Amino acid sequence: MSANPLLAPGLPDVVHGTQQTFRAVLDALARPGTVCEIGEALPDVALGGAMARVLLSLTDDETPVWWQRADPTVQRWLQFHTGSGVAANPGAASFAVIHDLDAVFDLANFAMGSAESPEFSTTLIIELPALHGGPELEWRGPGIEVLQRVGLCGVPSHFWSQWQANHAAFPAGVDLLFTCGDRLLGLPRTTRVRRLERV
Amino acid sequence: MTSDTQTAPHAPRQAWLATLARASVAQLESAIPAAADLPALHQVRPAEVGMVMLRGRVGGTGNPFNLGEASMVRCAVRLGNGPLGVGYVLGRNKRQAELVALCDALLQDPQHHDRLHGLLIEPLATAQAQARTQQQRAVADSKVEFFTFVRGEA
Repeated sequence: MSANPLLAPGLPDVVHGTQQTFRAVLDALARPGTVCEIGEALPDVALGGAMARVLLSLTDDETPVWWQRADPTVQRWLQFHTGSGVAANPGAASFAVIHDLDAVFDLANFAMGSAESPEFSTTLIIELPALHGGPELEWRGPGIEVLQRVGLCGVPSHFWSQWQANHAAFPAGVDLLFTCGDRLLGLPRTTRVRRLERV
Repeated sequence: MTSDTQTAPHAPRQAWLATLARASVAQLESAIPAAADLPALHQVRPAEVGMVMLRGRVGGTGNPFNLGEASMVRCAVRLGNGPLGVGYVLGRNKRQAELVALCDALLQDPQHHDRLHGLLIEPLATAQAQARTQQQRAVADSKVEFFTFVRGEA
């Protein structure tokens, strides 16, 4: 009843909107490095369109979300629409919302799952300035025929050494979804990332 | 649902929401001002049908158990930049939940509160209380006490 900073609406068509987003996320993780169009930004929500729609589609009251930047308005908005709580620490989170990879950041802090139950790991949703135009890397692994060249912007090089450790922990490990505005690109734990060999 | 669970700051709102949840669509529609007089209506959560688990207690005081699921509709609306109105109604009538949410939003608005409270909530609350007393009396009339005779030895 107190003065809410105007709670924004969720998806206009909940059933079809979440199904379309779910399908797109599935495609993005099945074909790592392929850019998928998710949908435009939602009115009055301070998140990119892809980020907001993925959160609305995948979270519920059993999936706590960890926020790198705590924004009470956005947290309240997500809690109202999906019932998902705020995780106190990264290790307890099912999903993590990341805006800045340059900040002090360690992939090992997140829930990795275990060999018996690898599904209890955190899925990180990372907003980047651009999904192409950065230094190109070679991605190989399931879902990629030979190799995929991906040049993500705003990913520091020390992040990729953390990723190697994450990949080596298979079947445990975190999965990543990189978003930029309306678009999304998946990086599952099965994908190997290497620097391009110099010609 | 029970009156003793009401806590101080939300008690009046809980009371009017409980009254609204039991009102019929016709009763609600009769009290809504014309759409032209209201600020733009935003559907923060469009009306959606779902299920709630109803819980009961044996004899009213025993251990809680799950009685069964009931379908219900919920809805959340906002008038202009005003407060958020919510509606939770048993059944599947989306229109009813929207009207309850709209009434809740109006009742939180000081400009509409007094008029709507006098016009809608008070008569409805009285009628609902009367109906409940009447039903309780009817049930009490047909109450049967069961007891067992002990077979006499003599």
